[in-house]
Parts: sequence; structure tokens; C-alpha cells
Amino acid sequence: MIRFITERLLQLIPAVLISSFIIFFAMNLTGGDPAMIIAGDKATAERIEEVREEYGFNDPVIVQYLRYMAGLVRGNMGISYVTNKDVFKTFMSRLPNTVELAFASVFIAVVISIPLGVYTAINQNTWKDNLGMVFALFGVSMPNFWLGLILILAFSLRLGWFPSGGKESFASLVLPAVTVGLGLAALITRTTRSSMLDVIRQDYMRTARAKGASERRVIYKHGLANALIPIITVVGLQLSNTLTGSVLAESVFAWPGIGRLIFDHISKRDTPMVTGSIILCSILMCLVNLVVDIIYALVDPRIKAQYVKKG
Amino acid sequence: METVTAKSTNVQYKSRSLAAETWRRLRKNKGAVAGMVFIVILVIATIVSGFIYDYETDIIGQNISERFTPPGLKYPFGTDQVGRNIFTRIIYGARYSLTISVGAVAIGLVVGVLFGSIAGFYGGLVDDLIMRVNDVLYAIPNIMIAVVVVSLFGTSTFNLLLALSINAATSFARIARASVMTLRGEEYIEASYAIGLPQWKIILKHIVPNCLSPIIVQTTLLIGTTIIAASSLSFLGIGIPAPAPEWGAMLSEGRDYMRSAGYICVIPGLAIMVTVLALNLLGDGLRDALDPKLKK
Amino acid sequence: MKENILEIKDLVVHYETDEGCVRAVNNVSFSIGKKTILGLVGETGAGKTTTALSILNLVPNPPGVIKNGSIILNGVDVLTLPENKLQEVRGKDVAMIFQDPMTALNPVMTIGEQIAESIMLHGEKDKEKALARAKEMLEHVGIAASRSGDYPHQLSGGMRQRVVIAIALACNPRLLIADEPTTALDVTIQAQILELIKELNRKFDTSMLLITHDLGVVAEVCDEVAVMYAGRIVEWGTADEVFNHTLHPYTEGLFNSLPNLRKRGEDLVPIKGMMPDPMNLPEGCAFAPRCPYAVPQCEKEVPELIKRGTHLVACRAYEDGNFKLRRNSNG
Repeated sequence: MIRFITERLLQLIPAVLISSFIIFFAMNLTGGDPAMIIAGDKATAERIEEVREEYGFNDPVIVQYLRYMAGLVRGNMGISYVTNKDVFKTFMSRLPNTVELAFASVFIAVVISIPLGVYTAINQNTWKDNLGMVFALFGVSMPNFWLGLILILAFSLRLGWFPSGGKESFASLVLPAVTVGLGLAALITRTTRSSMLDVIRQDYMRTARAKGASERRVIYKHGLANALIPIITVVGLQLSNTLTGSVLAESVFAWPGIGRLIFDHISKRDTPMVTGSIILCSILMCLVNLVVDIIYALVDPRIKAQYVKKG
Repeated sequence: METVTAKSTNVQYKSRSLAAETWRRLRKNKGAVAGMVFIVILVIATIVSGFIYDYETDIIGQNISERFTPPGLKYPFGTDQVGRNIFTRIIYGARYSLTISVGAVAIGLVVGVLFGSIAGFYGGLVDDLIMRVNDVLYAIPNIMIAVVVVSLFGTSTFNLLLALSINAATSFARIARASVMTLRGEEYIEASYAIGLPQWKIILKHIVPNCLSPIIVQTTLLIGTTIIAASSLSFLGIGIPAPAPEWGAMLSEGRDYMRSAGYICVIPGLAIMVTVLALNLLGDGLRDALDPKLKK
Repeated sequence: MKENILEIKDLVVHYETDEGCVRAVNNVSFSIGKKTILGLVGETGAGKTTTALSILNLVPNPPGVIKNGSIILNGVDVLTLPENKLQEVRGKDVAMIFQDPMTALNPVMTIGEQIAESIMLHGEKDKEKALARAKEMLEHVGIAASRSGDYPHQLSGGMRQRVVIAIALACNPRLLIADEPTTALDVTIQAQILELIKELNRKFDTSMLLITHDLGVVAEVCDEVAVMYAGRIVEWGTADEVFNHTLHPYTEGLFNSLPNLRKRGEDLVPIKGMMPDPMNLPEGCAFAPRCPYAVPQCEKEVPELIKRGTHLVACRAYEDGNFKLRRNSNG
């Protein structure tokens, strides 16, 4: 098992290399002149040329890339062209906000969707099932930025219960987390339901009942326990998505997270900030995947056996 | 050999083609029918609106005296901050969502099925390589990919289509690969080889119909997802730009007036939701109708 | 008079589906005595499994409905018990094992835990003690106690079936119902499991209801035999009576259709026709259309069980005391 984890951590290296390569080249080869952005609006042509020399923009892209990687190895991600602040520090200052939002959203989603998914599965084809499925259907059909605006309209502007943006207090977390969470809940409910439906038909459920186990025990200890694998997959994927892609929710609620960070800086051709952010995001995603895979092993002994076999 | 005659109700076993059987089952699903009807009406309405209305005057023409009229008889959805008729803008604007999403999904379909089939058919190194790239693209949130592509390459329609097609392609690649791999090993394929069916016939008669079902279902569902993605980009300002009546752009414009004229914001979002809902109902209905296990 | 562990009277079970009403079990009555192994024989669809599930009141509802009858177990009618009392009975007074061992066990629990679960559901509060007893049970069924921490996927089919048996017997039930316990296993493993079942019957005094379509298994293990056809018991007696002094034409047909090593080269003799559709049972005797001895009267009324000592048969031919099957006439 330890070897498995170590192998996966080593895979971070090619992940970082590939993602940095792709984004660095993409940013440098697709139009836009960073020198002009750095020098500012009122800069003269000479000043712009000075900046070019200073930052090494006249060198071939591959050289610039190697220079960047050399810095990276020494732990230096460079300075933002736009804000002149250290890339790593900026990213790390915004990361906790995104993490907060992601975990809060997933928490809300799971608390709603897993019980609902189980409930609709065991009451399949009744009005209870249909109601639950209607909720789930609406949830996946709704654009989450619209849901966010509606919630702001209702709970912030009309009722004044929550702030409409920014990150001032705990109350600021509620609307964004509910917005993202409800969308996730719809998706996870559907997955839970379909996974439970598969499990309910299994023979070992009947064995458990024949033992005299209560229906509740049969559903949860024997049923849900076996239905978890696909559910964990979806939850893990959604967690990964919300960590790296909450740009919409962050835009609607002016939430200072990393999605919005990347968005703001990419149009400004801020290569260091964007490259650095994307590298850190890919590391983040790999770590989340690793944690999810470890959880698989904890939940399903057959998977654990596979990991141990491989070494 | 004697057979026992049963005094039973007359059960007819008509042999139906797959398409006819699917259609029959789909028709029974009220939700799917409602979804289908809505989509058809929407498509017709948006095409017709192109002929009835003049873009310059009716769609983007400003009418300051009539601005901020709430929904009512004269303006079913009201007017926005510069007096434009929201109803006509919504109907006209459906074309952006529909054409972009259908286009992106179509591109994704071709590319995804191609690569997925190759991966599934050849296996080995080819499979490994293709699927690794696919998995990476699948793992990155759709929004991020679209944001990066559009921000770097520009907001032309072509770039939008490209950016949005990546999500579809990764989905289709997985499905195509899974279908091809399952079918490669199926006994009835071996049996077909054994009785001498030529390879192209095997592919056409056996492999394609079985891949088709999940692909059809996924296409419908992906069009819905892509509509949301496209309007998200417009909302962020990097999609179809104002003053075009793209639903996401309309939502974005309406933000500033939420307090006083909330409907400017709410209605375009409702349009997106109802359209995607219709597509999801249709897609779910297709999935049930195409499921061979439910054959009665 | 032997004490009866189980007495089923007039059991009627229907499955009410959209396509129609499946009359799976039609007025079934029989009983099982102490320490007795009763074989319940019949083709697929005869209603054997439904009868067995009824004893535990585990018939899936919907669509299954127990329309009528009483099932007396230890003096209590199981069909009148509320769910919580039923859960006490299941696993403790009566236990059931099913056909496919590969899917009968929960993949994410160790076999020791699954056996211990049964023990803890029926009184034992201490987990350590339950696990210890589980290990004992594993030894009883021929599995090393050290394997109690294994998961089902680490075991072969035959071993999994032993675990299933261990779970069933963990609380020493008075009645064990085994629904085709060896059908899904290789022949050599089959023999081992049957031996195990016989041994456990001797050791623990457990009565058994052994459901099977394999007459060979019945001959090997059973004390008494009941033959089911289209949801009814058509013959019931000791193994000797049913095998050597067969009464019902259907049972005769079953024996005749077995390949006989001594008669190689002869055509196989199947029973003509097919079992009737349980949604459309005929008015009279369900076997009449296929019966070589049938008379018009047979198709009008369902025959009652006629007694010949301890041997019962549902065939109106026996109203004539001299009637004999061809099988018995030829000796």
C-alpha cells in the first residue's frame, strides 16, 4: 500500500511537467504582448522595449520556459506581471477560500443527496421516487450561476438574511455553498439512486434478511456499503471540479478564490500567475484523486487487494 | 409432440425494427414527449423569428421610453434596461444556444467516437496513450478548459465551438471505447466470424447498433450541458458578446438591475433551465426506451 | 406421533403483476418432523422456492401476496407475526440458504463478521464472543478458523457455500431450508456439501427442507419426499415409498425420464407437453393434459390428497383401490 501511494506521488512530476509545458507555450504563442501590459497604458515604445529586455521576452519561448522551470525547481514561481506580487503567495492566500467553498458545497450536497438517493431507490416508482427525481432533474438542468443570482435576489436583496457577495463572515459562505451544493446534490442523488438500485437486486441482501436483520440494517450496512464505490467516484470528481473550477460561483458572489484568480489573469497574459496557478491546481487534483483512491481501498476490500498485489 | 393449449389472452409477438420499437416506448414516456415537443417548438420559433424580426430594430434596437416595463400583456416578458422586448430576444436568442451546442457536440461526437473506437479496437499502447490524454481532459472541469481556450485563442465562434467540443469528445471517447471493447469479446461476434460473415457486415449489423444507444442518449444530454457551458462563458464575458441576445449574456447584463427589475435576470436563466430540462427529459426517456433489458 | 417442527396448511401465494396473476402456490399443505430431512422436488416454476420463502415470510411484496394459509413453526403461525417478531424468528428458529453461493455473501464484510452478525442479531451482545463462536462454526463446516478474516472474493464457490451454511446454522435453528444448495456447484463439491448437510443434521438435530429438482440428491440425503407440480403437492411420502412404490403419474414420468445406464441405446422418455402457465392454470388437475392415465373427469376437478398410510397422492385414479402405475406393475 505504501508503495502504491509513493508511486502515485511520483506521478505528480510528469503531471507538473506536462501541464506547465502546455500552458506556458499556449500563453506565449497566442497573441498578446506582456511587455505592453507590464509597461502600462502610457508607456512609450522605448519603455516597452526596455521591459522586453528586462524580462527576457526577446528570447525564444523554449529558453523562457527552461528559465521558468529552473526557477520552479528552486521553489520560485515568479512574480505576477499585473500585480507584481509573488505568484505562490498570492495563490496560497486565495486557496483556503476555494477549499472552504468546495468542502462546504460538497458537504451540503452529500448530506442531501445520499439519503435522498437511498430513499428514492428503495421506493422506486412511487410518488416519493418521482418527486426526488424531479428535484434531481431540475438541479442538473439549472445553470448554477443563475441559481446563485436567484438566491441573492431572494435571500440577500429581498430578505436581507445573507450578504450578496464578498467574504466577510461565515454568513457569506452560505449562499455560495448552497448554490454550488444544490447543483452537486442533484447529480449525486442520481448516481446514488442508480447505484442503490443495482445493489438492491443482489442476493446478499436476501441473505441478510433471512438472517433476521432489520430492513434498515439491510439497506445501509449491506446495501449502501456496497453501493458506495460509484458514489465516491462522483463525489471525488465533483470535489476536484469545485476546487479547480468554481469560477462561476466565485464570479457571482465575488468570492476570492483561485478560479476567479486564473480567470482574471489569463486575459491579461499574466504568464507566471497563470502557469503557476495551473501547476498548483494540477497538483491539487492529483492529490484529491489519490485520496479518493485510498478511500476506495478502505471501503472495498477487493480494491485494497488489487493495490496490495501491485505493490 | 403434443402441446398444451392455453386458454389465454391473445398475445401478439410482432417483430419490430429497433427504431420503431424505441419510438413506441418513447411515446409512452410523458416527460420525454413533453421535452421533445418543447424542443421542436423552440427550434421552429427561433427559425421563424429570424424571418419575422429585423435584427437591428427588433432585437437590439433600443427603445428608451419603454424601458423597464415589467412583464405584461404588451410585452410578455417585459422590456430590459434599454427598452428591448425580452420575449422576442429570448426566442431569437435560442439560436445561439442551440447552434453552438449542437455544433460543439457534433464535433465532439466525430472526434470522440473516432479516437475511442481506435483505442478500444487496437488496445495496448494506442489505447493507453489515447485514454491517458482523455482522462486528463475529462478530469479538468469543463469551464476551465473553455475559459483557457477562449481567453487565449479569442472569442470567435470557431474557438467557442472548439472549446466546448472537448468535453463532449471525452465523453464520447469513453463510451465508444467501452462499447467496442465489450463487443470485441462478445460471443456472438465470434459466432458471426465463425459462420463466415464479412468484417464490414459484422461491424454494421452488430457493433454499430450496440454502440448507438449510449451515444444517442449521451448526445441529447450533452447538448444540454453544452448549452449551460456556452451561456456560462457568455455570462463571464468571453462568449457571445452583447448586444446579441444570447441567454447567458442577457443574464449578465441584467445583474446590475436585479434589485429593481429582477425579471431581466431571471427570465433568460429560466429559458436556459427549461430548454436543458426538456433535453434531459428526452435523454432520460431515450435511455429507458433503448434499454434492451426492459423489453417486455 | 412424531413432533412436527413445521406445519404448513392450505398455503396460497400469488404474484400479482401487470401481465396477470401468477398462481405460484395453490393450497399446499405438508409438515416436517423433528430431525427429518424432507426433499421438495419439482421442475423450475413449480412453486418450491415461493413455498420456502413463505416460511420466512420473505416473499417479495410487491408483487407477491400470501393469500391464505397458516405456517406453524414452534407453535406460532409465522404469517401472523409482525415484522420485528419475524426478524427474531429468521436466522434463529428457521434459517434459509440459497442457490448461488457466489453472490450470497456481502463482498465488503469478512466471512467471520457475517457469521457473527447472525449471532449478534439473536442475543449475543459481545462482539468478541460472537466472533469466537463464528470461528467455531467455520470449523464445523470444514473451514480453518484462521480464515475468518478473509473476504468472500478470496474463497471458491464450494467454500462460500460452506460459509453460507455456517451462517444459517450459527444460531442452531430447528429448521434449515436449503433451496437448491448444490445446483450451482461442481459435482465433486456437490457431494461434499451434501455430506456436510447430512452430518450437520445428525450432529445438531436440525430438520431440513431440501428443495431440488435433482432426484439423485433426494435419494442421497432425504428421509421424506414431497413432489410439487404447478403449485400443488401431488405426492408425499418417505423416500422409500416415493422411489420404490411411486404413486403419482407425474412422479413416474420424472423417474422414467432419467437416463438409465442399464438401458443405454434406448430413447429417452420425456414427459409429453409442458407445465401449464401459472397465470392460466386449468380447472381440474394441472397434470391431466400430459397424463397417460387421465380420464375426462380429471380435467374437471382438482384432486384431493388421498392417503395410503403415510403415503399421500393427489390423483383420482386412486379412488379405485386397485389402480397401479405401469412402473409398479412391471416391478
